[in-house]
Amino acid sequence: MAADIELRTTFFITAVAVAAKLSLVLKEAKNISLEAMNAKALVARAGENVRTFKPITDYMVELANDTIHLVEDINREALMISRSSLTALRGKDAVYHFNRAKEKSKDALYRESYEEAAKLAERDLREFQEKLHKNTQRLHTLLEEIETRMLAANVVTSTSRLEAATVSTIYRANFEAIVAKFEHAAKNIRTIVKDCRKVLNKR
Amino acid sequence: MQTVKLFEGHSHEWIAFARDPEKPEKIIDTNQYMIKSEREAILLDPGGIELFASMLASVVHYLPVEQITHLFASHQDPDIISSLGLWDKTLPNATLHAPWLWEGFLRHYGCDHIIYDAIPDEGSTLKFDNVEIQFIPAHYMHASGNFSVYDPVAKILFSGDVGAGLNAPDDPMFVEDFNAHIPKIKKFHQRWMPSERAKEMWIKRVRRLDVEMLCPQHGSIYRGDDVGRFLDWLESIEVGSGLRL
Ligand SMILES: [Fe+2]
Ligand SMILES: [Fe+2]
Repeated sequence: MAADIELRTTFFITAVAVAAKLSLVLKEAKNISLEAMNAKALVARAGENVRTFKPITDYMVELANDTIHLVEDINREALMISRSSLTALRGKDAVYHFNRAKEKSKDALYRESYEEAAKLAERDLREFQEKLHKNTQRLHTLLEEIETRMLAANVVTSTSRLEAATVSTIYRANFEAIVAKFEHAAKNIRTIVKDCRKVLNKR
Repeated sequence: MQTVKLFEGHSHEWIAFARDPEKPEKIIDTNQYMIKSEREAILLDPGGIELFASMLASVVHYLPVEQITHLFASHQDPDIISSLGLWDKTLPNATLHAPWLWEGFLRHYGCDHIIYDAIPDEGSTLKFDNVEIQFIPAHYMHASGNFSVYDPVAKILFSGDVGAGLNAPDDPMFVEDFNAHIPKIKKFHQRWMPSERAKEMWIKRVRRLDVEMLCPQHGSIYRGDDVGRFLDWLESIEVGSGLRL
């Protein structure tokens, strides 16, 4: 647990760094959303020819929206982590000062009179750490969820490619370009999220 | 941490805590004071966060900690009261008496349980057990909201940063030779004290009091004739030197 305390209390910087990185995910998610809109417009224009593309574009929109919401959740969680790690840091400080006082007052007549305060500080610290731990777990889960979404994006990409190959040649190039952009954005998101998890695990 | 009993009367005593040998080198040495009655006590300028452990360990030689029912902060500086957040955990039922001007600032140190008693600009008195002490206005000496503490029974004036010196860690607790002491206090007063008018007002106020001991928050304590010598000297120097660059 002691080593754990050490790790968690410097979290306030890490959490902010993660939140900052995630602004890039948001940008990419918006790109996906844009490509999905393009695809939808194209589907509308191409009509019956590309009917099978419609569910794919709907799914792209859903994926983009989910990701945007997840990033919002993560930002909220990162802010909570920043706060709770600062509280934990303060709590740890208090325990440290009480322990120093204990060392220094070994021969003092009333040395036990602040025992309760010291114990409370320790209990507070444990609570702060538990809260921080929960927040951190939640952040990991949210990042995982984004990763899962991006794995789903892989499947969508493959399906889209197959579908694109079947549409009329007039539209094929357009569809293929949309799929490529979608794939690119999803890949970028995966890289960023992986980075974030690396930063989190490093602490 | 050295402790010295400055006064012992029927109703109360004064104890000074100073010269913490474990103080980190680069932080200024401070004097803390405790007025202890039979059942209660007040800490005057309890000190910075770095000093908290030493202070707590020192006071429990004299009383169970819950007997400290009051804290006093002459002004908002970190060397005075950055330990507040820790005292707040130690003495959740205590009251902090401090200038009204600094309430919003001092609370940054953490003051969730302790009651903040805002001292009005004109000062006030505090009674506990059979002790009565006065919070004497000392504004702009150096902080813009600032109080000295006077005990008419012990005839002790706690003067905060006034009279303070940049002393060496092994300097004596009391001024022994006033002239030799001047180099230690000169720069402190010339540079930290901003206003001639404030200085004159404070001196006038203090001269009306019967002071046998003048206790600053840094450096050595003035006793007997050295109190008058210090007031005369302070009157003679020009403060606000930062404006004459
Ligand atoms: Fe000060
Ligand atoms: Fe000071």
